[in-house]
Amino acid sequence: MDIKMNYTFDGRLKTVLLVLMGLGAICLAASFFHNPDGYHSRFWSNFLHNSLFFTGIALMSTFFLAVCITAYAGWHVVFKRVWEAFGQFLLIGLILMGIITVGVWLHAHHLYHWTDAASLDPSSDIFDPILKHKSALLNPMMYTILGVGMCAVWLLFHSRLRKFSLAEDKKSDPSDFSAFRKSKVWAAVFLPIAGFTSAGAIWLWLMSVDAHWYSTLFAWYTGASWFVSMICVTILVLLYLKSRGYYEFVNMEHFHDLGKFLFAFSIFWTYLWFSQFMLIWYGNVGEETIYFRERYDNYPVLFYGNLLINFVFPFFVLMRNDTKRKTGTLILVSLVVLFGHWWDFFLMIKPGVVHTAHEAYAHAHEGAHVAIKGMSFPGLLEIGIFIGFLAGFLFFIFSRLTKAPLIAKGDPYIQESLHHHT
Amino acid sequence: MGHHHTSNHIIYGLYTDETDLLKAVQKAKDDHLDIFNVYTPFPVHGLDPILGLAESRLHITGFVYGLLGTLTAFLGMSWIFTRDWPVIFGGKPYWPVPSFIPITFELTVLFAAIGMVVTFYTVSGMGPGITNPILDPRITDDKFCIAFNETTATDGDINKFKSFFQETGASEVNSKEIDA
Repeated sequence: MDIKMNYTFDGRLKTVLLVLMGLGAICLAASFFHNPDGYHSRFWSNFLHNSLFFTGIALMSTFFLAVCITAYAGWHVVFKRVWEAFGQFLLIGLILMGIITVGVWLHAHHLYHWTDAASLDPSSDIFDPILKHKSALLNPMMYTILGVGMCAVWLLFHSRLRKFSLAEDKKSDPSDFSAFRKSKVWAAVFLPIAGFTSAGAIWLWLMSVDAHWYSTLFAWYTGASWFVSMICVTILVLLYLKSRGYYEFVNMEHFHDLGKFLFAFSIFWTYLWFSQFMLIWYGNVGEETIYFRERYDNYPVLFYGNLLINFVFPFFVLMRNDTKRKTGTLILVSLVVLFGHWWDFFLMIKPGVVHTAHEAYAHAHEGAHVAIKGMSFPGLLEIGIFIGFLAGFLFFIFSRLTKAPLIAKGDPYIQESLHHHT
Repeated sequence: MGHHHTSNHIIYGLYTDETDLLKAVQKAKDDHLDIFNVYTPFPVHGLDPILGLAESRLHITGFVYGLLGTLTAFLGMSWIFTRDWPVIFGGKPYWPVPSFIPITFELTVLFAAIGMVVTFYTVSGMGPGITNPILDPRITDDKFCIAFNETTATDGDINKFKSFFQETGASEVNSKEIDA
C-alpha cells in the first residue's frame, strides 16, 4: 500500500500562505498608521487580539494532547502529529506576547489602564484606588514574569511530550513503552499546571484590559473559546491534508468525534458565557455589570451576534448525527465558528482598550472626542490581519509537520485509532 | 414485534467475539440467509448497516419532546409571572428572561429524557410486568448471538444454518422454542 508518511509542504501552498501573510502585515501596518487616538490603539489591540487567539489555540492543543494521554484515549493518535505541530506554535506565541510585554515597559501602547503611573499615584488628581489595590498583581514586573514564564512552562511541557512522541517512532522493540510511560507522567503533571496557568495568563493578558472589572468565570469562558477554535482549525487542517492525499486512515469516524467536540464545547462555551452573564445580571453589582452594560449599549450587534454565531448556529447545524460526518457541513461550521470565536475575542478586548485609550486621551486633551474606527466593529483591516495571522499560523504548522512522520506508528494506541468506530 | 399466537423454533449460534460476529453477519447477508435476529450484550458498532436496519427515529421524538419541554417551561413561567401572579424578585422586571433560562434548559432535558425512555420502552414492548422470551441468558453477558427461524425451514435450510455456524466459528449451536 502506498501510504504518504511524510508531509511535503508544496510550493503553491507556501506561496498562497506567504501572500496572505503579506496582506496581513500590510493591514497591520496600515492599522498602525490609522492612529486617531495618538496611542496606536488600533494596531496594538489587533496585535494583542490575534496573538492571544492563536497562542491559545497552541496551548489548547497541547493541553488536549495531555488530556488524551492521561485518559488513555486512543482515537486521536493517527493524527496527533497535527496537534503536536499546533503546540509548537507556543514558541511564536511566546515571541508575540513578548512584544506586547516589551510594549508595556516602553509605554508603547495603552492597552492596559494599570500601566498608567499617574493613576497609581495617590497625590495625582486622577489617582485610581482600585488600580492601586490591584497593583500587586497588575504591574509590569508581574506581567513579564508570570506571562512570559507561564508561556515558557507550556512550551517546556510541549517539547517534552513531543520528544517522547518522536522517541516512540524510533524504538526498535515494539513492546518498549518507556517513552510512552514518561509522556504519561509529563502529561498528568501538565494538567493542573495548564489549568492554573491558563487562568493566570488570561487574567493578566486579557481580563486586565478591563482593569477595574473581574469575573472568576472569565478564564474558563475564554479557555472554552480557545478550545472550540482549536477543534475548528484541527478539522479544517485535517480535511485539507486529506484532500491532498495525506492521512488516508483519518476517516469519518475521527471527524465524527471532532464534530462532537465542536458541538459539545460550543454548548460548554455558551454555558459559561451564560453563567457569567446571568450571575452578574442577577447580582446587579455596579462594578460587575459595567462590563455588560458597555457591550450591550455600544456593541449590540457584536454582543448578540456572538451568541448567534457561536451557539445557535453550531448547535442547530451539528445537532444531527449526519452533519458531523459530512465534509461540507464540517467545513462550514468550522469556518464560521472559528471566525465567531475570533469575534468573541474582539468583543473581550476592544471595548476595554477603547475605554483606556479614551481616558488617556481625555487626560491629555480635555474632553476631546476619540474616533473608534476598527475598534467598535471589525473593519477590513481587522479581517485582513486575522487572515494574515491565520496564514502565519498555518505556514508555521505546515512547516513543522514536515519534521516528523505524519503517523505516529510507535504509539501504543495506534491500532485503536486506526480501527476507531464512533 | 409481531404478536403471533404461535411459537417459533429458533436455531442460534453463539460467538465469543464481536469481530467474529460482524464477519458472520456479513457472510449470512452475502449468502442470502434469512437472519431472524442478532443479539449482543452491548451495542456493536457497524452492525446496523450490515443488517440493513433503517436509522432509528427515536432522536426525532427526542427533539419533539425537548421542544415541548422548552415551551412548557418558558411559556409557563412567562404566563405565571406576567399574567397569573406578577411578582418582583430582586428588582428585576416582571418578565426576567435570563432567570428563565436554567429552568427552561432543565425541563427541555427532562422532557426529552423521559419522553424518549417511555417511547423506547413502548416501541420495544418492554415495561413493568412484561416478560420477553430470551434465547440464552449469556447474550446479556458476554456472548454474541445470530438466530435463524427454523419453524418453516426445510431440512436443506437447517443444514445450511448448521454449516454456516461451523464455518463462521460459532462456539456453540443450540435450538429453542420461543413464543413469538
